[in-house]
Amino acid sequence: MLTVQNLTKKFSNGRGIFDVSFSVKKGEVFGFLGPNGAGKSTTIRHIMGFMKPDQGYVKVNGLDTWQKQGEVQKYIGYLPGEIAFIEGMTGKGFLDFMAQMQGVKNLSKRNALIERLQFDANTPIRKMSKGMKQKVGIVAAFMHDPEVIILDEPTSGLDPLMQKVFIEIVLEEKEKGKTFLMSSHSFPEIERTCDRAAIIKDGIVIAVKDIHELQTMQRKLFEVTFNNDEDAKSFLNSNLQIESHEGNRVRVAIQGNYDSFIEETAKYHVRNIAIFTQNLEDVFMNYYDRSGDLK
Amino acid sequence: MNFSLYKHMMKVNIKGVMNYAIGAAFYIVLVVWIYPGMEKTAKPLNDMLSAMPAGMTKAFNLQNGFGSFESFISGEFYGVLFTLIVSIFCVMVPIQLMAKLVDQGSMAYLLSTPTTRGKVAFTQASVFLTGLFLISAITTACGIIGVRIFINDANSFHVDRFIQLNLAAFALFVALGGISFLVSSLSNDEKKAMGISGMIIFGFYSLDIVGKISEKIDWLRDFTVFTLYKPADIVNGKGDVIQNCIILFAIGLIAFLVSILVFRKRDLPL
Repeated sequence: MLTVQNLTKKFSNGRGIFDVSFSVKKGEVFGFLGPNGAGKSTTIRHIMGFMKPDQGYVKVNGLDTWQKQGEVQKYIGYLPGEIAFIEGMTGKGFLDFMAQMQGVKNLSKRNALIERLQFDANTPIRKMSKGMKQKVGIVAAFMHDPEVIILDEPTSGLDPLMQKVFIEIVLEEKEKGKTFLMSSHSFPEIERTCDRAAIIKDGIVIAVKDIHELQTMQRKLFEVTFNNDEDAKSFLNSNLQIESHEGNRVRVAIQGNYDSFIEETAKYHVRNIAIFTQNLEDVFMNYYDRSGDLK
Repeated sequence: MNFSLYKHMMKVNIKGVMNYAIGAAFYIVLVVWIYPGMEKTAKPLNDMLSAMPAGMTKAFNLQNGFGSFESFISGEFYGVLFTLIVSIFCVMVPIQLMAKLVDQGSMAYLLSTPTTRGKVAFTQASVFLTGLFLISAITTACGIIGVRIFINDANSFHVDRFIQLNLAAFALFVALGGISFLVSSLSNDEKKAMGISGMIIFGFYSLDIVGKISEKIDWLRDFTVFTLYKPADIVNGKGDVIQNCIILFAIGLIAFLVSILVFRKRDLPL
């Protein structure tokens, strides 16, 4: 449904994307993971036909997105990473305008989405919060019932409840056979919806993996607080990967080996276990290092 | 042409267009209204003008003096005020229609719908030209009505020459707007586009003025489109108005066409 083949674009500052290839099957939700500035948005710009590739191509439904501008958009719904609406309109005014541009006659889907995302469409856009704009953007991306939906950091600005609603909407559309490409810099966001994901860094795709495989590669940091310092000390002798130790607190890195982590900690009295949120490089630290060596 | 986009953009921009149109119309009525008072003092004013260096009076299109209403309006209004007001329009509006949408990113939304870039650029150019036409038409109409009301000796007023004058001005603004639209189509940055367009258009204007002051630097005027716009000659029935208009329209047309072509092939940072 969506094919990115040997896509290369070099910018004058030496950055860019290099030989990016992946393909997304019909009915699949594909994640596109990478830290900020890794080339996610550049790739999406090529998918949307905003940029001309130096080499390679992007095809959606068999149509080259650069050459078939204006035609290929019939099949695409798009949520930009940085939402900028046309000024001086209400949410409804904007959606009406977009519906006209997309040639949508049936507004029932739009109204249902507004209902579910719970926002007042009559608010002027310049008075909207980030989350509310995001909701308007989501409605605009889904309302014309496109085959392929491209979402650039879709849940940024949404509260947890709305993130949940959003994930429900994505999964429902997936059931109907819609294809998704979702970019994100946070793994948990991708984890809940995607079947597969590509990890990109410095413009190079370093892995395209099944989401379960990625989950086992994922590295999590836990801070365990023991009842006393002795317990903490003897815990250090387990063959878990210890990050740091201070008094009765031990910070431990877990990568797939949850069973042994639970077994080891269960030997002692535990006061508290806290999980650390990490950035993507840390989450896939080993992976990034290994591919760094390959280069 | 995308009619939904055209309709929407007209709705967004009509207020701005009307502000310029009302401003220009207000000035022309004002100029017409004060003329009968000026006429009585025309003699000493003309003496004063003739005492000034010829280059100076020519630079500001005042070489016809204040003797007749037509020379007065060609010098005062079409020579200076109207040119400046609408030149500002020609700098600002193409930027708002193209570069600003790219800079802010809302162009992404337009291009994510099943329309081509060529159509978007063509539609935006049409919006600009519609606005320009409205300003010119409203100013012309208000001028003619103003003359009927305020000028006693309305018979000496050549409506045909007045319309030619407006047509020439319109042609000039099409050329200026086209150049500004081209800059705007090439820019990712709204402020930069405004700086470049402003520099080009007011640079042209300055070259024309400076070139007129002295014969020695007359060659400067070969580099500006303002040379093709001669309000003083038009009201005197001199010069080849139609030919100049055709050249100006051609410059504008080419600039708009090139704008559409470059916008189709360009990388957009959306």
